[in-house]
Amino acid sequence: MNAFTAIGDWFANALAWVLGRSETPPRIPIGTWFEQGIDALRERGGAFFDLVGGFIAWVVDLLAALFHQPPATALAVGGAAVIAAAMLRTRRRAALITAAAVVALFVLEALTGVLNTLISTGGIPSFFFLWAMALFQVDFVFPPLIIALLALAAFAVLAALPGGGRRPRVVAACAVAAVLLAYGLVWLVGVPVPLLVTALFAVLAWRVAGWRLALFTVLGFLLIIAMNMWAGAMDSLALVLVASTIAVVIAVPIGIAAAYNDGVSRVVRPVLDLMQTMPAFVYLIPAVSFFSIGAVPGVIATIIFAMPPGVRLTELGIRQVDPELVEAGEAFGAPPGQILARIQFPLALSTVMAGVNQVIMLSLSMVVIAGMVGAGGLGSDVYEGVTRLQLPQGFEGGVAVVILAIFLDRLTAAVSRRSATTAARQGAEA
Amino acid sequence: MPAAVRAAKVYKVFGKRAERAVKDLEAGATREEVRAYGATAAVIDVSFDVEPGEIFVVMGLSGSGKSTLIRMLNGLLVPTSGTVEVDGTDITRLKPAQLRQMRSQKVSMVFQHFALFPHRNVLENTAYGLEVRGVPVDERQHRAAQALELVGLKGWERNLPEQLSGGMRQRVGLARALAADTPIVLMDEAFSALDPLIRRDMQTQLLELQSELGKTIVFITHDLNEAMRLGDRVGVLRDGRAVQIGTAEEILNDPANDYVAQFVEDVDRTRVLTASSVMAAPIPVVGAEAGPRAALRTLRENQTSVAFVLRRDRRLVGVVHEKTIGPAVRTGQKSLDGLVDTDVQRVSPDTSVADLFAPAAESSVPLAVVDDAGRLRGVIPRVTLLAALAGNGNGNGAETADAGHDAAAAEPADTSRTEPDTAEPADTAEPAEDADASDRPAAGADPAETPAEDPADPPPDTGPAPPDAAGEERHGGQGAAR
Ligand SMILES: Nc1ncnc2c1ncn2[C@@H]1O[C@H](COP(=O)(O)OP(=O)(O)OP(=O)(O)O)[C@@H](O)[C@H]1O
Ligand SMILES: [Mg+2]
Repeated sequence: MNAFTAIGDWFANALAWVLGRSETPPRIPIGTWFEQGIDALRERGGAFFDLVGGFIAWVVDLLAALFHQPPATALAVGGAAVIAAAMLRTRRRAALITAAAVVALFVLEALTGVLNTLISTGGIPSFFFLWAMALFQVDFVFPPLIIALLALAAFAVLAALPGGGRRPRVVAACAVAAVLLAYGLVWLVGVPVPLLVTALFAVLAWRVAGWRLALFTVLGFLLIIAMNMWAGAMDSLALVLVASTIAVVIAVPIGIAAAYNDGVSRVVRPVLDLMQTMPAFVYLIPAVSFFSIGAVPGVIATIIFAMPPGVRLTELGIRQVDPELVEAGEAFGAPPGQILARIQFPLALSTVMAGVNQVIMLSLSMVVIAGMVGAGGLGSDVYEGVTRLQLPQGFEGGVAVVILAIFLDRLTAAVSRRSATTAARQGAEA
Repeated sequence: MPAAVRAAKVYKVFGKRAERAVKDLEAGATREEVRAYGATAAVIDVSFDVEPGEIFVVMGLSGSGKSTLIRMLNGLLVPTSGTVEVDGTDITRLKPAQLRQMRSQKVSMVFQHFALFPHRNVLENTAYGLEVRGVPVDERQHRAAQALELVGLKGWERNLPEQLSGGMRQRVGLARALAADTPIVLMDEAFSALDPLIRRDMQTQLLELQSELGKTIVFITHDLNEAMRLGDRVGVLRDGRAVQIGTAEEILNDPANDYVAQFVEDVDRTRVLTASSVMAAPIPVVGAEAGPRAALRTLRENQTSVAFVLRRDRRLVGVVHEKTIGPAVRTGQKSLDGLVDTDVQRVSPDTSVADLFAPAAESSVPLAVVDDAGRLRGVIPRVTLLAALAGNGNGNGAETADAGHDAAAAEPADTSRTEPDTAEPADTAEPAEDADASDRPAAGADPAETPAEDPADPPPDTGPAPPDAAGEERHGGQGAAR
């Protein structure tokens, strides 16, 4: 009833404007509609968005903390994960069982605090952890750290057992040594963490992309430290990594679906165009209304803005695979999932990685904008510089962004280049 | 037993309005007419059966629909109309899972452009069919390695396809299909990238494999010689239609139309035609019980100098020559005993024409085509061989039979000539040049093969056939025969 009269009024107004009887053109308020849609969504799925927001915030904080002042627990878990990954080839079952046990312990501890009670009641002899308390200069025992150290030890022992091959053993030795070295340097010697992290990135750059990038990394990150931009840079890095990871995780399946189905492709393409060309600021408004101020709306807006190339290049990569290869898979009776996983995706990988590279670059370009909604990091530094007309701060923030961008771009480009050949080389090794 | 593969009235039309195009084509429209409204008719109304253990060759020019046809046989393409049966099941009705099952268990395929996986090494490529079937790693690698050895690629297991030459890649594709070990193998121009030597080798291996394992093979090729050598039966496609389906000999000797005739023009007929298809009727024959007088009359009537001597059951004894009969008649001898020359070259009806040259060279009389029981089926005068080479070798024609007499009459053959050059066979069909020409092609043949190729049981009263020493010098260019 109401809607009918409203539509009638609108047409009457339109007619009047066309005939020159009215000054105001007929209005189509799609902005309002959009807001209404967002509000409706917010009302229905509030709990869901809170959950997502909470998770994103937690991951970003964790990563940022890792780059700032890595908790001993995280280092131990990282070491254990590296060893486990190396063992996946040769001793998949043992590695998976141990990993499951470790995760179960973490969950159990988080839910019931079992370990905590055991420690405080003297269920575990005190000499197991007193030295650690002394080393880390704390006066309480952090149960997750214990679990993490146990995991590290377990994986190291597993890898060292005979019959597992040489590689996992070497990796295990290196990982344990690295964790202990880090503990020693940070807590015994007191080396500043930024220096250690810089060294770590340099090693990564050297392994993946060669010594030039390693050199650049050392110089660039030292400059960031010297500009006193380290904290902001690491926050931004965490933001970028989380946002691009999520973007890729969403983009790849969509890209695959679009490659398989022309209909999906036709629907997705204009949506992607819209996502990419819409001014990035615009995403911030609904993102804030969903997740309020902070890192999370920044990450969400970044995901939306950075996702399109991930989808596009995945679709392109899959579609580029020689149809006769897919036919060969079919001719031998392979099911579609297997054809995707063992033929199409491996062959599309280098293109997909080029997409990942672009996703990361776009994420980084979004970081500054995200600073406007209090996402923190370099974005906040730059934004403050702009609003307060402090050129030095703004410029230094900008330089830090550029350094991060070059580092990430060269690194992922190298990964992309290598994935074209690694797939092949892995085939040759197996 | 159902046919291993059966295609019944199969159509495949690409592009717009496929259904309508099929109806129009059924009603007699041409390919060009349906093309006008955007339909590409790739395969039109093709029907054939492939029996288990048979090699069925599909032949045709580029774009005639061969690949399209073979892709329908394992369901990679669905026919626009018609049915395809594999082992009696209509695969156009199978559910996807059943179709996959059928492919991995029953039908493997060699692709025209190899379709090797570039990210997998040769061994993994070869093991792919077994991998899909869920065979454990060790076993499938073992079996893949065997298949690679079979195609002569031992030692290349760890290489990537891009590190191989085209011919080697093709052999990997072949090994991949062989390793899958399915009863039916579809081969789309599987040997097209191989050099002639390896190609011949692979053909031989395929024939061996097929006779050992009884595989059913659908083989596509451009190459007529290959088709004729491999095919139990051959189907010729033209513009999507099957213009003729038959045995190699039927296609060669009795082309259904000019297209097929042109197609078969440049085939190496000597490898396709067999003795039975070029032989002439043994007209001058004499009963073994007859006397010299009767024999002489037969020779005179037929105006030849030799005649074959048969028993009542048509088993061959040998030949009689006019020059020995004449004196015998004069001396009043009553039987042919002692007059029969048992030194006759015998060949079996299945011997290919290429293998007839050597025995023909060693024999001054026409070759005797003798079946397993020793019965005379026909004779092959040398001139008939030449006629077959020249392309008009229809052995049943009266012309060649007459020519045969002349050739037999011209004797003794000059066996001392050893020029190694192979004569132009086309112009030697003229009877006038017979004596000169008839021993020339023989100069290129390899006499060493003769004994092995002659399965005929010698009748008890014939002596061992001594190989002609004159043949020793005549090893020529055709040594690769079979
Ligand atoms: N997917 C397709 N879409 C449209 N037309 C096709 C398709 N595949 C084949 N055709 C057409 O069908 C016809 C037959 O093609 P096909 O590949 O079967 O030929 P072929 O006999 O295998 O040729 P070649 O010897 O060159 O491999 C061609 O005219 C081709 O253009
Ligand atoms: Mg083809």
